[in-house]
Amino acid sequence: MKISVKWLGDYVALPPSVDELARKLTAAGLEIEGLERPGEGLRGVVVAQIKESVQHPNADKLSVTKIDAGGDALVQVVCGAKNYKVGDKVPLATVGTKLPNGMEIKQAALRGVDSSGMLCSSKELGLSEESSGLLILSPDLKPGTPIAEALGLDDVVLEVNVTPNRPDALSHLGVAREVSVVTGAALKVPQPKLTESGTPASQSAKVRVEDSVRCPRYAARVVENVTIKPSPQWMQDRLKACGVRAINNVVDITNYVNLEFGQPLHAFDLDKLGGQEIVVRAAKKGEKLTTLDGKERTLDQEELVICDRDRPQALAGVMGGGDSEVTEKTTRLLLESANFLGSGVRRAAKRHALHTEASHRFERGADLDAVVPAIERAAQLLIELAGGTVAPGLIDLYPAEKPPRQVTLRFARVEKVLGVAVPEAEVRRILEALGFQKLAESAGQATYSVPRARVDVEREEDLLEEVARVFGYDNIPAKLPRGLASLAPEPAHSEAERRLRQAMSGAGLDEVVNYSFVAPKSLEVLGLKEQPVALLNPLSVEQSVMRTSLIPGLLENLSRSVRHQVESVCLYETGRAYFRDAEGGQGTRPAAREVNRVAGLVWGLRGGGRSWTQKDARADFYDAKGAVEAVLGALRVEGVTWSPGGPSAYHPRASAEVKLADGTVLGHVGELHPRVVKALGLPEGVFVFELDTEPLYSAARLVPEYHSLPKFPAVLRDLAVVVPVELANDSVRKVILEVGRPLVEDALVFDVYTGKPIPEGKKNLAYALRYRSAERTLTDVEVTEAHQRIISEVNQRLGASLRA
Amino acid sequence: MRDRLQALAEAARREIAGASELPAVEALRVRYLGKKGELSGVLGGMGKLPPEERRALGEVANTVKAELEKLLAEATQRAEDAAMEAQLQGPGLDVTLPGRAVAPGSRHPVSRTMEDIVRTFSRLGFDVAAGPEIELDYFNFEALNLPKDHPARDMQDTFYVDEPSLGHAKKADSSVLLRTHTSPVQVRYMLQRKPPIRAVMPGRVYRRDSDITHTPMFHQVEGLLVDKDVTFAELKGSLDAFVKAFFGSDTRTRFRPSFFPFTEPSAEVDISCTSCGGKGCRVCKQTGWLEVLGSGMVHPNVFTSAGYDPGEVTGYAFGMGVERIAMLRYRIDDLRMMFENDARFLEQF
Repeated sequence: MKISVKWLGDYVALPPSVDELARKLTAAGLEIEGLERPGEGLRGVVVAQIKESVQHPNADKLSVTKIDAGGDALVQVVCGAKNYKVGDKVPLATVGTKLPNGMEIKQAALRGVDSSGMLCSSKELGLSEESSGLLILSPDLKPGTPIAEALGLDDVVLEVNVTPNRPDALSHLGVAREVSVVTGAALKVPQPKLTESGTPASQSAKVRVEDSVRCPRYAARVVENVTIKPSPQWMQDRLKACGVRAINNVVDITNYVNLEFGQPLHAFDLDKLGGQEIVVRAAKKGEKLTTLDGKERTLDQEELVICDRDRPQALAGVMGGGDSEVTEKTTRLLLESANFLGSGVRRAAKRHALHTEASHRFERGADLDAVVPAIERAAQLLIELAGGTVAPGLIDLYPAEKPPRQVTLRFARVEKVLGVAVPEAEVRRILEALGFQKLAESAGQATYSVPRARVDVEREEDLLEEVARVFGYDNIPAKLPRGLASLAPEPAHSEAERRLRQAMSGAGLDEVVNYSFVAPKSLEVLGLKEQPVALLNPLSVEQSVMRTSLIPGLLENLSRSVRHQVESVCLYETGRAYFRDAEGGQGTRPAAREVNRVAGLVWGLRGGGRSWTQKDARADFYDAKGAVEAVLGALRVEGVTWSPGGPSAYHPRASAEVKLADGTVLGHVGELHPRVVKALGLPEGVFVFELDTEPLYSAARLVPEYHSLPKFPAVLRDLAVVVPVELANDSVRKVILEVGRPLVEDALVFDVYTGKPIPEGKKNLAYALRYRSAERTLTDVEVTEAHQRIISEVNQRLGASLRA
Repeated sequence: MRDRLQALAEAARREIAGASELPAVEALRVRYLGKKGELSGVLGGMGKLPPEERRALGEVANTVKAELEKLLAEATQRAEDAAMEAQLQGPGLDVTLPGRAVAPGSRHPVSRTMEDIVRTFSRLGFDVAAGPEIELDYFNFEALNLPKDHPARDMQDTFYVDEPSLGHAKKADSSVLLRTHTSPVQVRYMLQRKPPIRAVMPGRVYRRDSDITHTPMFHQVEGLLVDKDVTFAELKGSLDAFVKAFFGSDTRTRFRPSFFPFTEPSAEVDISCTSCGGKGCRVCKQTGWLEVLGSGMVHPNVFTSAGYDPGEVTGYAFGMGVERIAMLRYRIDDLRMMFENDARFLEQF
């Protein structure tokens, strides 16, 4: 909220500088987010009276004026404007002034006539966007007065960030109390004295509260004979500083007292209240009310309304109604100062999307004890500024006054919780200055009654916070936590996850972080049938369901990069996919399942981009598979199997299901289906993978086991076989390793070839076989014999033929 | 014969000295010292000589042979050196061509920062925990001392889950939402174990807000320490240590009273501006300070939600926005870049 420093000074002596005031309030918990100094750019500009004006001898459009700027002698100024008459008061920028628009005023001669300064328009002073001619000031102003002061701009406005627990600080008096507590200066609270006259209020108006839970207190006063006119300049200036528009004296007074006490007030035109009655009751379903902003609102029975005999006249605690609005013709007022229950106001304000100065305070909790002082203050101001007469008798309906809350503080707790010994006398001073009254005292503790304004204070911890913030967080030492009883456990899978990221990075994939919510369409296009978890109030349909796959995000990233002419895109993301839980959620779990995944995408030129070392090779299935293998290798997950095929998003002939040795499906890798590529307008040759990480991490062998090095040399032999193109490498290898056991240590495929001279429908596979025995050096004869056996078995079992 | 030997030696010396390439040297070796070479040819007649003369001549022949062998070895060396020298001449490689390697992939700044934050706290003995992102209202709000209609709920505009999409009828007791902070993990973590505890809880969080400085999803790291007699002074010390470890040892901290429903007393933690060191600049809006953390002593109501006795234990909790810290760390000036995943952005990390 905006606090005027000038206004604040009415209630408490302020520190010498505004910066110090701001620092102290911030340190005590009222964060000053900004300082506005509206008059700052107007130094050097003063009120001046035009005493004389003659035609410039050498220029038709200029005049030469003599100006009283408060000094002993008149000043001569050349002026181009015509909208003034002699005797008017206008702003003069004296020599040396730098105007907000950057213009510097210098002693000058204009067409041969000396000019000491410049008479200004409001635009030149930065006060308006447009203006024609000089700014004509009020005739009451004294020449020489700084313009900032004359226009009420010599104030500093504090932008205070009041946290929702501190409605007591939503007023100048509330902030002044904080200042007095932290500086020790005395707080001066206005004590209105009223003279009542005329017909007793109880005869002019009747007030009835039907729902005293939602309206625990309702005070009213009748003020007659008011004259509606603008409020005085000082009041308008203060309201303006706080961001409130001036309307007329009556409305301005209610707003002013709200900003002063934090107690919202409303003035009804008494003559427009049917039956001159006020009834506070629940609205009837479908009842209508046109609020002050001119909108017709349909009410429901959840809402509390202020009615006259016939119909609603205000939405309680939120906004008044247009029918009983104060107008120029108003002479009799019913002034309302009430307290409404926060939750009800909050609901009504939310339902009607109305956030007002009143609702803001009631939602957070207004002070029951401010109801009467505020109305008395407003009544006094109505006498002073609107010529009103206050009818005898304050109406104050407060049927269930509760005693103030009591909280006990054990003084030893201060050090125990804060970690610093605040002297007990200081603790007492702080609490009492904040308005807590000591009710009782026993060994080591005291019981305080809590001011009703402090809706946030309920228990001992709250008092500790009061002590801490006034004592100063800066004065509490910083200590490291005491020693550990044991090492913190290594979090499950954190090492595995680290290695996965390293492997991905090593494989050249960039990490991305995508939103968890996606467009339903982006899942449908992948053929993902499972119904996603949907949001009730998404920001847009593009972000309306929780992803059931990480791939849509990666495809979106690909599109973006392709648009920017990136030639190689290799990405991965770790994160969750979200599913509805078939079991419907149990105990403390919502009915949703969150599955940790890693997904990747490879597209474009292999190896990160064009390179002289390879001729524009494009990434393919084996690059994507290679990235997955890099992860499996880094985690030492062995025995993983790859079988052809994948879900419908994948190319049926260029995809694989990845399974752990125990048969658990980890996920899939493969080319994106051409149908998906087309539907999304992607370039061809997009390869993706997506794996569940929980089973992967569980299968990881993070600590390798050493095998002693072989004692005898290996014998290397190559083997090339021609097999049908459909026959998988794994099938051939399996036969080689099985037949070659125990001498064949490994069989590595090093060439795959189709084309001449290999017959149509066949391919050539070449393997490097490594023979070795753990017991002896193998002889050439042994190896040749084993090799021959393998050749004939491969031929026989797989219909292969040895290639010459 | 002696003369013939001397003449042979003389000719050989001359020719070896003139041979500059390996094949020529090798040819000379064969010609003079080979089995059918000239030296053998001369010595072939030696059998006819008397023994005495034969011995003397043999000595001369050995001397000549040794000399020629030495000269041939030197000539070989010379020729080899010359050949290598020749090889080293000519145009060298273009060493400015790029090397042959896969460029390593980059780490996303948010994920890297989150990992670094967690690692820093693990040095202070903090465990790492996770919790659901699709969360019950109860854990996100009520268990954290934020009952329905609490004004602080305004601070967090919440995404609610359309419960029929979960496949069950709406349960009356608690609606389902996307967690607005990582704080519900505190309660879940406490419910699972007894004090003392210290843990950090990193993860994604969601708020219904999207503009130049807000994204509807972002990341937080939450921290919690509970034990007997934990003090506010220890909260200050721990966070000060974290800030110095993370941002540099000359970074200062400032604790300001604030309000969070789940802590009491509460504190905002500012750090001296990482850009200007506290003198005031555009990054810190001339204040010299940057707000990076929220913290406080765990509210007794939160302990009660977690089944702990607030009379027995105290504790502190803190939370920080990962994106904010990453932006300060890498001097990223536009939050939205974080989730656009533009290749030209990613490759910088």
